Amino acid sequence: MASLAPYILTRPWLTKLLKPVANWYASAAGYRQLGLRADDLINEENEDVLKALGRLDARESYDRIFRIRRAVQLSLQQKILPRTEWTKPEEDVKYLEPLVEQIKKENAEKEALDHLSIVKKH
Amino acid sequence: MISRSALSRGSQLALRSQGASKLAQRGFAAVASPKASYEPTTIAGVKVASRDDNGPTTRLAIVAKAGTRYQPLPGLTVGLEEFAFKNTQKRSALRIAREVELLGGQLSAYHTREALVLQANFLRGDLPYFTELLAEVIAETRYTTHEFHEEVEHIIHLKQAKVNAAAIALDAAHSAAFHTGLGAPLYPTSNTPVASYLNENAVADFAAAAYNTANIAVVADGASQGGLTKWIEPFFKGVPKQPTGQLNATASKYFGGEQRIAKTGPSSFVIAFPGSSLGAFQAETAVLVGLLGGESNIKWAPGFTLLSKASAEAPGAHAYASNYAYSDAGLLTIQINGQASAVRKVAEESVKALKALVSGTIAQEDLVKAISKAKFDLLAASETSGSGLVHAGAELIHGGKPLQVAESVKALESVTAEKLTAAAKALLEGKASVAAVGDLYILPFAEDLGLKV
Repeated sequence: MASLAPYILTRPWLTKLLKPVANWYASAAGYRQLGLRADDLINEENEDVLKALGRLDARESYDRIFRIRRAVQLSLQQKILPRTEWTKPEEDVKYLEPLVEQIKKENAEKEALDHLSIVKKH
Repeated sequence: MISRSALSRGSQLALRSQGASKLAQRGFAAVASPKASYEPTTIAGVKVASRDDNGPTTRLAIVAKAGTRYQPLPGLTVGLEEFAFKNTQKRSALRIAREVELLGGQLSAYHTREALVLQANFLRGDLPYFTELLAEVIAETRYTTHEFHEEVEHIIHLKQAKVNAAAIALDAAHSAAFHTGLGAPLYPTSNTPVASYLNENAVADFAAAAYNTANIAVVADGASQGGLTKWIEPFFKGVPKQPTGQLNATASKYFGGEQRIAKTGPSSFVIAFPGSSLGAFQAETAVLVGLLGGESNIKWAPGFTLLSKASAEAPGAHAYASNYAYSDAGLLTIQINGQASAVRKVAEESVKALKALVSGTIAQEDLVKAISKAKFDLLAASETSGSGLVHAGAELIHGGKPLQVAESVKALESVTAEKLTAAAKALLEGKASVAAVGDLYILPFAEDLGLKV
Protein backbone atom coordinates (compact mmCIF):
# COMPACT_ATOMS: atom_id res chain seq x y z
CA MET A 1 0.00 0.00 0.00
CA ALA A 2 1.39 3.33 -0.97
CA SER A 3 1.86 5.61 1.99
CA LEU A 4 1.80 9.38 2.08
CA ALA A 5 4.00 9.41 5.20
CA PRO A 6 7.38 9.88 3.47
CA TYR A 7 5.96 12.73 1.40
CA ILE A 8 4.59 14.45 4.47
CA LEU A 9 7.64 13.84 6.69
CA THR A 10 9.98 15.57 4.24
CA ARG A 11 7.90 18.76 4.50
CA PRO A 12 8.14 20.26 8.00
CA TRP A 13 5.18 22.59 7.62
CA LEU A 14 2.94 19.75 6.47
CA THR A 15 4.22 17.51 9.25
CA LYS A 16 3.47 20.24 11.78
CA LEU A 17 0.01 20.70 10.33
CA LEU A 18 -0.88 17.00 10.34
CA LYS A 19 0.80 15.95 13.59
CA PRO A 20 -2.30 16.60 15.77
CA VAL A 21 -4.38 14.61 13.31
CA ALA A 22 -1.90 11.73 13.46
CA ASN A 23 -1.87 11.80 17.26
CA TRP A 24 -5.65 11.84 17.34
CA TYR A 25 -5.75 8.90 14.96
CA ALA A 26 -3.23 6.86 16.99
CA SER A 27 -5.23 7.47 20.17
CA ALA A 28 -8.48 6.67 18.44
CA ALA A 29 -7.05 3.37 17.21
CA GLY A 30 -7.34 2.26 20.81
CA TYR A 31 -4.15 0.24 21.25
CA ARG A 32 -2.61 2.85 23.54
CA GLN A 33 -5.50 2.47 25.97
CA LEU A 34 -4.53 -1.22 26.25
CA GLY A 35 -0.89 -0.34 26.97
CA LEU A 36 0.38 -1.55 23.60
CA ARG A 37 2.82 0.04 21.18
CA ALA A 38 2.19 0.31 17.45
CA ASP A 39 4.91 -2.26 16.70
CA ASP A 40 3.16 -4.81 18.94
CA LEU A 41 0.40 -4.91 16.31
CA ILE A 42 2.67 -6.13 13.51
CA ASN A 43 1.47 -9.51 12.31
CA GLU A 44 4.05 -11.98 13.53
CA GLU A 45 2.93 -15.01 11.53
CA ASN A 46 5.57 -14.34 8.94
CA GLU A 47 9.18 -15.54 8.57
CA ASP A 48 10.73 -12.07 8.51
CA VAL A 49 8.94 -10.86 11.62
CA LEU A 50 9.71 -14.09 13.50
CA LYS A 51 13.38 -13.61 12.70
CA ALA A 52 13.20 -9.97 13.81
CA LEU A 53 11.57 -11.05 17.09
CA GLY A 54 14.51 -13.42 17.57
CA ARG A 55 16.87 -10.47 17.27
CA LEU A 56 15.22 -8.42 20.04
CA ASP A 57 17.24 -8.31 23.21
CA ALA A 58 15.99 -10.21 26.24
CA ARG A 59 14.54 -7.17 28.04
CA GLU A 60 12.63 -5.85 25.02
CA SER A 61 11.30 -9.30 24.24
CA TYR A 62 10.04 -9.74 27.81
CA ASP A 63 8.36 -6.33 27.86
CA ARG A 64 6.66 -7.04 24.56
CA ILE A 65 5.20 -10.32 25.82
CA PHE A 66 4.06 -8.55 29.00
CA ARG A 67 2.28 -5.83 27.05
CA ILE A 68 0.55 -8.34 24.79
CA ARG A 69 -0.60 -10.57 27.65
CA ARG A 70 -1.91 -7.57 29.57
CA ALA A 71 -3.76 -6.38 26.48
CA VAL A 72 -5.32 -9.80 25.88
CA GLN A 73 -6.45 -9.93 29.51
CA LEU A 74 -7.97 -6.44 29.27
CA SER A 75 -9.66 -7.34 26.03
CA LEU A 76 -11.24 -10.43 27.62
CA GLN A 77 -12.42 -8.38 30.56
CA GLN A 78 -13.80 -5.69 28.26
CA LYS A 79 -11.75 -3.07 30.11
CA ILE A 80 -9.15 -0.47 29.36
CA LEU A 81 -6.19 0.58 31.52
CA PRO A 82 -6.50 3.54 33.90
CA ARG A 83 -5.52 6.73 32.10
CA THR A 84 -2.14 7.00 33.89
CA GLU A 85 -1.03 3.64 32.44
CA TRP A 86 -1.92 4.34 28.82
CA THR A 87 1.00 4.25 26.41
CA LYS A 88 2.32 7.78 26.11
CA PRO A 89 3.02 9.05 22.58
CA GLU A 90 6.75 9.38 23.38
CA GLU A 91 6.83 5.75 24.58
CA ASP A 92 5.28 4.55 21.35
CA VAL A 93 8.59 3.97 19.56
CA LYS A 94 9.36 1.68 16.67
CA TYR A 95 11.39 -1.11 18.19
CA LEU A 96 10.56 -3.89 15.74
CA GLU A 97 9.98 -2.26 12.38
CA PRO A 98 13.64 -1.29 11.78
CA LEU A 99 14.64 -4.92 12.39
CA VAL A 100 12.00 -6.18 9.98
CA GLU A 101 13.16 -3.65 7.40
CA GLN A 102 16.76 -4.79 7.86
CA ILE A 103 15.80 -8.45 7.37
CA LYS A 104 13.76 -7.60 4.29
CA LYS A 105 16.77 -5.78 2.89
CA GLU A 106 19.02 -8.77 3.62
CA ASN A 107 16.59 -11.08 1.85
CA ALA A 108 16.32 -8.76 -1.13
CA GLU A 109 20.11 -8.65 -1.38
CA LYS A 110 20.30 -12.44 -1.15
CA GLU A 111 17.69 -12.76 -3.86
CA ALA A 112 19.56 -10.32 -6.07
CA LEU A 113 22.90 -12.03 -5.54
CA ASP A 114 21.42 -15.48 -6.15
CA HIS A 115 20.19 -14.34 -9.55
CA LEU A 116 23.41 -12.58 -10.37
CA SER A 117 24.53 -12.84 -13.97
CA ILE A 118 27.97 -11.94 -15.21
CA VAL A 119 28.17 -9.49 -18.06
CA LYS A 120 31.43 -9.87 -19.92
CA LYS A 121 32.62 -6.65 -21.45
CA HIS A 122 35.43 -8.16 -23.52
CA MET B 1 55.52 -44.07 -50.59
CA ILE B 2 54.00 -42.12 -47.78
CA SER B 3 50.27 -41.60 -48.10
CA ARG B 4 48.85 -38.14 -47.81
CA SER B 5 46.68 -38.91 -44.82
CA ALA B 6 49.62 -40.27 -42.84
CA LEU B 7 51.59 -37.15 -43.61
CA SER B 8 48.83 -34.83 -42.53
CA ARG B 9 48.26 -36.91 -39.39
CA GLY B 10 51.90 -36.59 -38.53
CA SER B 11 51.82 -32.89 -38.98
CA GLN B 12 48.69 -32.67 -36.86
CA LEU B 13 50.38 -34.62 -34.06
CA ALA B 14 53.43 -32.44 -34.34
CA LEU B 15 51.29 -29.33 -34.09
CA ARG B 16 49.43 -30.72 -31.11
CA SER B 17 52.55 -31.66 -29.20
CA GLN B 18 53.95 -28.24 -29.92
CA GLY B 19 50.86 -26.68 -28.38
CA ALA B 20 51.14 -28.95 -25.36
CA SER B 21 54.75 -28.02 -24.83
CA LYS B 22 53.75 -24.38 -24.95
CA LEU B 23 51.17 -24.94 -22.18
CA ALA B 24 53.70 -26.58 -19.93
CA GLN B 25 56.34 -24.05 -20.77
CA ARG B 26 57.96 -22.18 -17.94
CA GLY B 27 60.72 -19.67 -17.91
CA PHE B 28 64.03 -21.41 -17.25
CA ALA B 29 65.08 -18.65 -14.90
CA ALA B 30 61.96 -19.21 -12.76
CA VAL B 31 62.73 -22.92 -12.44
CA ALA B 32 66.36 -22.45 -11.58
CA SER B 33 65.94 -19.67 -9.02
CA PRO B 34 65.47 -20.89 -5.44
CA LYS B 35 62.43 -19.81 -3.44
CA ALA B 36 63.16 -16.39 -2.08
CA SER B 37 62.65 -15.67 1.60
CA TYR B 38 60.19 -13.05 2.85
CA GLU B 39 61.50 -9.51 2.66
CA PRO B 40 60.30 -7.33 5.54
CA THR B 41 59.38 -3.73 4.72
CA THR B 42 57.06 -1.07 6.05
CA ILE B 43 54.44 0.46 3.77
CA ALA B 44 52.50 3.46 5.10
CA GLY B 45 53.14 2.37 8.69
CA VAL B 46 52.04 -1.22 8.06
CA LYS B 47 54.58 -4.01 8.56
CA VAL B 48 54.74 -6.03 5.37
CA ALA B 49 56.65 -9.19 4.46
CA SER B 50 56.54 -10.23 0.85
CA ARG B 51 58.12 -12.51 -1.67
CA ASP B 52 57.36 -12.88 -5.33
CA ASP B 53 57.94 -15.99 -7.41
CA ASN B 54 56.01 -14.62 -10.40
CA GLY B 55 53.45 -17.41 -10.11
CA PRO B 56 49.85 -17.00 -11.30
CA THR B 57 48.35 -16.98 -7.79
CA THR B 58 48.85 -14.87 -4.69
CA ARG B 59 48.41 -15.58 -0.99
CA LEU B 60 47.78 -12.45 1.03
CA ALA B 61 47.36 -12.68 4.78
CA ILE B 62 46.94 -10.45 7.76
CA VAL B 63 48.71 -11.96 10.76
CA ALA B 64 47.46 -10.31 13.94
CA LYS B 65 48.75 -10.57 17.48
CA ALA B 66 45.46 -12.12 18.57
CA GLY B 67 46.20 -15.77 19.20
CA THR B 68 44.83 -17.53 22.26
CA ARG B 69 47.89 -16.36 24.15
CA TYR B 70 46.90 -12.70 23.86
CA GLN B 71 43.14 -12.95 24.48
CA PRO B 72 42.18 -10.98 27.59
CA LEU B 73 39.21 -13.30 28.26
CA PRO B 74 38.71 -16.97 27.32
CA GLY B 75 37.25 -17.71 23.90
CA LEU B 76 37.73 -14.27 22.35
CA THR B 77 40.23 -15.48 19.75
CA VAL B 78 37.82 -18.04 18.34
CA GLY B 79 35.06 -15.42 18.45
CA LEU B 80 37.20 -12.99 16.47
CA GLU B 81 38.18 -15.73 14.05
CA GLU B 82 34.55 -16.62 13.35
CA PHE B 83 33.66 -12.93 12.92
CA ALA B 84 36.14 -12.64 10.04
CA PHE B 85 34.46 -11.79 6.73
CA LYS B 86 31.09 -11.05 8.38
CA ASN B 87 29.04 -7.88 7.77
CA THR B 88 31.11 -4.74 7.49
CA GLN B 89 30.05 -1.11 7.31
CA LYS B 90 30.29 -1.26 3.52
CA ARG B 91 28.94 -4.67 2.53
CA SER B 92 27.30 -7.76 3.89
CA ALA B 93 28.93 -11.10 4.59
CA LEU B 94 26.92 -12.62 1.77
CA ARG B 95 28.14 -10.04 -0.69
CA ILE B 96 31.73 -10.68 0.33
CA ALA B 97 31.23 -14.41 -0.19
CA ARG B 98 29.59 -13.96 -3.60
CA GLU B 99 32.15 -11.45 -4.85
CA VAL B 100 35.02 -13.69 -3.80
CA GLU B 101 33.33 -16.63 -5.54
CA LEU B 102 33.10 -14.62 -8.73
CA LEU B 103 36.81 -13.80 -8.57
CA GLY B 104 37.70 -17.42 -7.84
CA GLY B 105 39.34 -16.55 -4.54
CA GLN B 106 39.43 -18.41 -1.26
CA LEU B 107 39.09 -16.80 2.15
CA SER B 108 40.10 -18.45 5.37
CA ALA B 109 40.63 -17.48 8.98
CA TYR B 110 42.57 -19.59 11.44
CA HIS B 111 44.58 -19.13 14.58
CA THR B 112 47.60 -20.49 16.36
CA ARG B 113 48.48 -19.92 19.99
CA GLU B 114 50.13 -16.63 19.07
CA ALA B 115 48.61 -15.34 15.87
CA LEU B 116 45.25 -14.94 14.21
CA VAL B 117 45.50 -15.21 10.44
CA LEU B 118 43.05 -13.86 7.88
CA GLN B 119 44.11 -15.23 4.55
CA ALA B 120 43.02 -14.78 0.97
CA ASN B 121 44.26 -16.88 -1.93
CA PHE B 122 43.47 -15.45 -5.35
CA LEU B 123 44.57 -14.85 -8.91
CA ARG B 124 47.46 -12.47 -9.22
CA GLY B 125 45.47 -9.73 -10.97
CA ASP B 126 42.97 -9.35 -8.12
CA LEU B 127 45.42 -7.89 -5.62
CA PRO B 128 43.62 -4.50 -5.26
CA TYR B 129 40.25 -6.12 -4.49
CA PHE B 130 41.61 -8.44 -1.82
CA THR B 131 43.85 -5.79 -0.24
CA GLU B 132 40.77 -3.61 0.14
CA LEU B 133 38.72 -6.53 1.48
CA LEU B 134 41.23 -7.54 4.16
CA ALA B 135 41.67 -3.93 5.31
CA GLU B 136 37.89 -3.52 5.42
CA VAL B 137 37.46 -6.72 7.44
CA ILE B 138 39.90 -5.65 10.15
CA ALA B 139 38.83 -2.01 10.29
CA GLU B 140 35.11 -2.02 9.59
CA THR B 141 33.54 -5.29 10.72
CA ARG B 142 30.36 -4.49 12.63
CA TYR B 143 30.30 -7.35 15.18
CA THR B 144 26.51 -7.38 15.27
CA THR B 145 24.53 -9.14 17.96
CA HIS B 146 22.34 -11.13 15.58
CA GLU B 147 25.33 -12.52 13.65
CA PHE B 148 26.89 -13.58 16.93
CA HIS B 149 23.77 -15.48 17.98
CA GLU B 150 22.71 -16.76 14.57
CA GLU B 151 26.08 -17.73 13.09
CA VAL B 152 29.20 -17.35 15.24
CA GLU B 153 27.90 -19.21 18.31
CA HIS B 154 26.57 -21.98 16.13
CA ILE B 155 29.87 -22.53 14.30
CA ILE B 156 31.80 -22.48 17.58
CA HIS B 157 29.54 -25.22 18.97
CA LEU B 158 30.07 -27.31 15.84
CA LYS B 159 33.82 -26.91 16.01
CA GLN B 160 33.84 -27.71 19.72
CA ALA B 161 32.19 -31.03 18.94
CA LYS B 162 35.18 -31.88 16.76
CA VAL B 163 37.85 -31.27 19.42
CA ASN B 164 39.36 -34.73 19.98
CA ALA B 165 41.37 -36.33 22.78
CA ALA B 166 44.69 -35.51 21.08
CA ALA B 167 43.88 -31.78 20.94
CA ILE B 168 42.64 -31.75 24.53
CA ALA B 169 45.79 -33.55 25.72
CA LEU B 170 48.02 -31.07 23.90
CA ASP B 171 46.09 -28.17 25.42
CA ALA B 172 46.31 -29.75 28.87
CA ALA B 173 50.08 -30.20 28.49
CA HIS B 174 50.42 -26.54 27.49
CA SER B 175 48.27 -25.54 30.43
CA ALA B 176 50.43 -27.54 32.87
CA ALA B 177 53.59 -26.15 31.29
CA PHE B 178 52.72 -22.46 31.01
CA HIS B 179 49.58 -21.98 33.19
CA THR B 180 48.27 -18.74 31.60
CA GLY B 181 49.13 -17.19 28.22
CA LEU B 182 50.46 -20.03 26.10
CA GLY B 183 48.59 -22.36 28.47
CA ALA B 184 45.20 -21.16 27.20
CA PRO B 185 43.47 -23.86 25.15
CA LEU B 186 43.78 -23.52 21.38
CA TYR B 187 40.07 -24.25 21.04
CA PRO B 188 37.80 -24.17 24.10
CA THR B 189 36.02 -27.51 24.58
CA SER B 190 32.29 -27.72 25.19
CA ASN B 191 33.08 -28.07 28.90
CA THR B 192 35.00 -24.78 29.00
CA PRO B 193 32.80 -22.05 30.48
CA VAL B 194 33.25 -19.33 27.85
CA ALA B 195 29.63 -18.21 27.56
CA SER B 196 30.03 -15.57 30.27
CA TYR B 197 33.07 -14.01 28.56
CA LEU B 198 32.34 -14.47 24.88
CA ASN B 199 29.91 -11.99 23.39
CA GLU B 200 29.93 -9.59 20.46
CA ASN B 201 30.94 -6.58 22.58
CA ALA B 202 33.93 -8.36 24.10
CA VAL B 203 34.96 -9.53 20.62
CA ALA B 204 34.67 -5.97 19.27
CA ASP B 205 36.85 -4.68 22.13
CA PHE B 206 39.41 -7.40 21.47
CA ALA B 207 39.36 -6.50 17.76
CA ALA B 208 40.09 -2.86 18.63
CA ALA B 209 43.03 -3.98 20.76
CA ALA B 210 44.43 -6.39 18.18
CA TYR B 211 43.59 -4.99 14.75
CA ASN B 212 45.83 -1.95 14.47
CA THR B 213 49.09 -1.29 12.68
CA ALA B 214 51.07 -1.89 15.88
CA ASN B 215 49.81 -5.46 16.17
CA ILE B 216 49.34 -6.69 12.62
CA ALA B 217 51.58 -7.68 9.76
CA VAL B 218 50.62 -8.16 6.14
CA VAL B 219 52.28 -11.14 4.50
CA ALA B 220 52.15 -11.57 0.75
CA ASP B 221 53.36 -14.60 -1.14
CA GLY B 222 53.36 -14.10 -4.89
CA ALA B 223 52.58 -10.37 -5.05
CA SER B 224 54.87 -7.77 -6.54
CA GLN B 225 56.43 -5.20 -4.25
CA GLY B 226 55.15 -2.44 -6.54
CA GLY B 227 51.56 -3.65 -6.34
CA LEU B 228 51.68 -3.87 -2.56
CA THR B 229 53.12 -0.39 -2.20
CA LYS B 230 50.47 0.96 -4.50
CA TRP B 231 47.43 -0.66 -2.85
CA ILE B 232 48.26 -1.02 0.84
CA GLU B 233 48.79 2.72 1.24
CA PRO B 234 45.24 3.82 0.24
CA PHE B 235 43.30 0.87 1.63
CA PHE B 236 44.99 0.56 5.03
CA LYS B 237 44.36 4.24 5.83
CA GLY B 238 41.30 3.30 7.90
CA VAL B 239 43.21 0.84 10.09
CA PRO B 240 43.84 2.42 13.51
CA LYS B 241 47.44 3.29 14.36
CA GLN B 242 47.24 2.69 18.08
CA PRO B 243 45.55 -0.09 20.08
CA THR B 244 42.52 1.02 22.10
CA GLY B 245 42.68 -1.82 24.60
CA GLN B 246 45.05 -4.12 26.36
CA LEU B 247 46.22 -7.49 25.12
CA ASN B 248 47.17 -10.13 27.66
CA ALA B 249 50.92 -9.94 27.11
CA THR B 250 52.66 -11.58 30.06
CA ALA B 251 55.98 -13.27 29.35
CA SER B 252 55.92 -17.06 29.27
CA LYS B 253 57.33 -19.03 32.17
CA TYR B 254 57.73 -22.79 32.32
CA PHE B 255 56.12 -24.48 35.32
CA GLY B 256 55.54 -28.17 34.56
CA GLY B 257 53.00 -30.44 36.18
CA GLU B 258 50.42 -33.08 35.52
CA GLN B 259 46.86 -32.96 34.22
CA ARG B 260 44.41 -35.84 33.94
CA ILE B 261 41.08 -35.52 32.17
CA ALA B 262 38.53 -38.32 31.86
CA LYS B 263 36.99 -38.80 28.42
CA THR B 264 35.24 -41.57 26.56
CA GLY B 265 36.60 -42.82 23.25
CA PRO B 266 40.26 -42.97 22.21
CA SER B 267 42.90 -41.91 24.70
CA SER B 268 45.79 -39.52 24.35
CA PHE B 269 48.91 -39.00 26.42
CA VAL B 270 51.38 -36.13 26.16
CA ILE B 271 54.81 -35.94 27.77
CA ALA B 272 56.28 -32.45 27.35
CA PHE B 273 59.53 -30.71 28.24
CA PRO B 274 60.75 -27.13 27.72
CA GLY B 275 61.71 -26.89 24.06
CA SER B 276 63.21 -24.58 21.51
CA SER B 277 61.60 -21.18 20.93
CA LEU B 278 61.49 -19.05 17.80
CA GLY B 279 63.72 -16.46 19.40
CA ALA B 280 66.42 -18.88 20.57
CA PHE B 281 66.88 -21.85 18.25
CA GLN B 282 68.26 -24.90 20.09
CA ALA B 283 69.86 -27.32 17.66
CA GLU B 284 69.92 -30.16 20.25
CA THR B 285 66.15 -30.01 20.69
CA ALA B 286 65.56 -30.14 16.95
CA VAL B 287 67.88 -33.15 16.60
CA LEU B 288 66.25 -34.81 19.60
CA VAL B 289 62.87 -34.47 17.87
CA GLY B 290 64.42 -36.08 14.77
CA LEU B 291 65.87 -38.88 16.89
CA LEU B 292 62.60 -39.57 18.72
CA GLY B 293 60.68 -39.18 15.45
CA GLY B 294 57.58 -41.32 15.29
CA GLU B 295 56.38 -40.41 11.84
CA SER B 296 57.45 -42.92 9.24
CA ASN B 297 59.55 -41.58 6.39
CA ILE B 298 58.68 -44.38 3.99
CA LYS B 299 55.48 -46.12 3.04
CA TRP B 300 54.41 -49.46 4.53
CA ALA B 301 56.92 -49.38 7.39
CA PRO B 302 56.56 -48.02 10.90
CA GLY B 303 59.97 -46.37 10.67
CA PHE B 304 63.12 -46.90 12.72
CA THR B 305 63.14 -43.93 15.07
CA LEU B 306 62.97 -44.44 18.84
CA LEU B 307 59.24 -43.71 19.09
CA SER B 308 58.47 -45.86 16.04
CA LYS B 309 60.17 -48.76 17.77
CA ALA B 310 58.23 -48.00 20.96
CA SER B 311 54.94 -47.90 19.01
CA ALA B 312 55.74 -51.20 17.31
CA GLU B 313 55.63 -52.89 20.73
CA ALA B 314 51.96 -52.09 21.18
CA PRO B 315 49.72 -52.03 18.11
CA GLY B 316 46.77 -49.65 18.43
CA ALA B 317 48.72 -46.59 19.53
CA HIS B 318 50.87 -44.15 17.65
CA ALA B 319 53.56 -41.94 19.14
CA TYR B 320 55.39 -38.98 17.65
CA ALA B 321 57.60 -36.16 18.85
CA SER B 322 57.38 -32.51 17.90
CA ASN B 323 58.63 -29.15 19.05
CA TYR B 324 56.10 -26.36 19.36
CA ALA B 325 58.07 -23.13 19.03
CA TYR B 326 56.61 -19.81 20.19
CA SER B 327 58.15 -16.36 20.30
CA ASP B 328 59.53 -16.62 23.84
CA ALA B 329 59.13 -20.29 24.78
CA GLY B 330 58.92 -23.72 23.28
CA LEU B 331 57.51 -27.11 24.17
CA LEU B 332 59.07 -30.41 23.14
CA THR B 333 56.29 -32.99 23.20
CA ILE B 334 55.89 -36.70 22.81
CA GLN B 335 52.27 -37.37 21.93
CA ILE B 336 50.75 -40.84 22.04
CA ASN B 337 47.25 -41.43 20.65
CA GLY B 338 45.22 -44.61 20.49
CA GLN B 339 43.56 -47.23 22.70
CA ALA B 340 44.20 -46.68 26.42
CA SER B 341 46.10 -49.93 27.14
CA ALA B 342 48.31 -49.51 24.07
CA VAL B 343 48.90 -45.85 24.96
CA ARG B 344 50.05 -46.90 28.42
CA LYS B 345 52.49 -49.43 26.99
CA VAL B 346 53.90 -46.98 24.45
CA ALA B 347 54.24 -44.25 27.10
CA GLU B 348 56.28 -46.63 29.27
CA GLU B 349 58.43 -47.66 26.31
CA SER B 350 58.95 -44.02 25.26
CA VAL B 351 60.21 -42.95 28.67
CA LYS B 352 62.44 -46.04 28.77
CA ALA B 353 63.85 -45.05 25.37
CA LEU B 354 64.51 -41.50 26.62
CA LYS B 355 66.31 -42.84 29.69
CA ALA B 356 68.32 -45.26 27.58
CA LEU B 357 69.36 -42.25 25.52
CA VAL B 358 70.79 -40.60 28.62
CA SER B 359 72.60 -43.64 30.02
CA GLY B 360 73.68 -45.35 26.81
CA THR B 361 75.43 -44.15 23.73
CA ILE B 362 73.84 -42.96 20.52
CA ALA B 363 74.84 -44.81 17.38
CA GLN B 364 76.55 -42.57 14.84
CA GLU B 365 74.12 -43.75 12.15
CA ASP B 366 71.09 -42.73 14.23
CA LEU B 367 72.63 -39.33 14.89
CA VAL B 368 73.24 -38.73 11.19
CA LYS B 369 69.66 -39.75 10.42
CA ALA B 370 68.28 -37.46 13.12
CA ILE B 371 70.34 -34.48 11.94
CA SER B 372 69.23 -35.00 8.34
CA LYS B 373 65.60 -35.18 9.44
CA ALA B 374 65.94 -32.01 11.52
CA LYS B 375 67.55 -30.23 8.57
CA PHE B 376 64.82 -31.32 6.21
CA ASP B 377 62.06 -30.24 8.64
CA LEU B 378 63.66 -26.83 9.12
CA LEU B 379 64.17 -26.16 5.42
CA ALA B 380 60.78 -27.52 4.36
CA ALA B 381 58.98 -25.41 6.96
CA SER B 382 60.68 -22.23 5.80
CA GLU B 383 59.88 -23.03 2.17
CA THR B 384 56.25 -24.19 2.03
CA SER B 385 53.83 -21.33 1.72
CA GLY B 386 51.37 -22.29 4.48
CA SER B 387 53.52 -22.40 7.59
CA GLY B 388 56.07 -20.01 6.10
CA LEU B 389 53.38 -17.35 5.81
CA VAL B 390 52.36 -17.59 9.47
CA HIS B 391 56.00 -17.71 10.55
CA ALA B 392 56.94 -14.61 8.60
CA GLY B 393 53.98 -12.69 10.04
CA ALA B 394 54.59 -13.90 13.59
CA GLU B 395 58.21 -12.78 13.41
CA LEU B 396 57.14 -9.31 12.29
CA ILE B 397 54.50 -8.78 14.97
CA HIS B 398 56.83 -9.99 17.71
CA GLY B 399 59.63 -7.81 16.43
CA GLY B 400 62.11 -10.69 16.36
CA LYS B 401 64.64 -11.31 13.68
CA PRO B 402 63.67 -13.81 10.99
CA LEU B 403 64.96 -17.37 11.38
CA GLN B 404 68.47 -17.51 9.98
CA VAL B 405 68.18 -20.75 8.04
CA ALA B 406 71.83 -21.05 7.05
CA GLU B 407 73.06 -20.47 10.62
CA SER B 408 70.50 -22.89 12.04
CA VAL B 409 71.56 -25.59 9.57
CA LYS B 410 75.18 -25.10 10.62
CA ALA B 411 74.14 -25.40 14.27
CA LEU B 412 72.30 -28.63 13.48
CA GLU B 413 75.38 -30.09 11.81
CA SER B 414 77.54 -29.35 14.81
CA VAL B 415 75.39 -31.40 17.20
CA THR B 416 77.32 -34.32 18.66
CA ALA B 417 76.21 -37.42 20.55
CA GLU B 418 77.58 -35.98 23.82
CA LYS B 419 75.66 -32.73 23.42
CA LEU B 420 72.49 -34.67 22.69
CA THR B 421 72.92 -36.89 25.74
CA ALA B 422 73.50 -33.83 27.90
CA ALA B 423 70.35 -32.16 26.52
CA ALA B 424 68.23 -35.25 27.12
CA LYS B 425 69.64 -35.55 30.65
CA ALA B 426 68.76 -31.91 31.38
CA LEU B 427 65.20 -32.55 30.19
CA LEU B 428 64.72 -35.64 32.36
CA GLU B 429 66.19 -33.93 35.41
CA GLY B 430 63.92 -30.92 35.00
CA LYS B 431 60.18 -30.86 35.48
CA ALA B 432 58.03 -32.49 32.82
CA SER B 433 54.47 -31.56 31.85
CA VAL B 434 52.31 -34.62 31.54
CA ALA B 435 48.72 -34.77 30.29
CA ALA B 436 46.51 -37.84 30.19
CA VAL B 437 43.14 -37.71 28.45
CA GLY B 438 40.82 -40.69 28.15
CA ASP B 439 40.51 -43.81 30.28
CA LEU B 440 42.21 -42.67 33.49
CA TYR B 441 41.90 -46.13 35.08
CA ILE B 442 44.48 -47.40 32.60
CA LEU B 443 46.55 -44.33 31.70
CA PRO B 444 49.65 -44.03 33.93
CA PHE B 445 50.65 -41.23 36.28
CA ALA B 446 53.87 -39.32 35.57
CA GLU B 447 55.30 -40.80 38.76
CA ASP B 448 54.72 -44.35 37.48
CA LEU B 449 56.69 -43.53 34.36
CA GLY B 450 59.56 -42.12 36.41
CA LEU B 451 59.12 -38.50 35.35
CA LYS B 452 59.47 -35.49 37.64
CA VAL B 453 56.50 -33.15 37.62
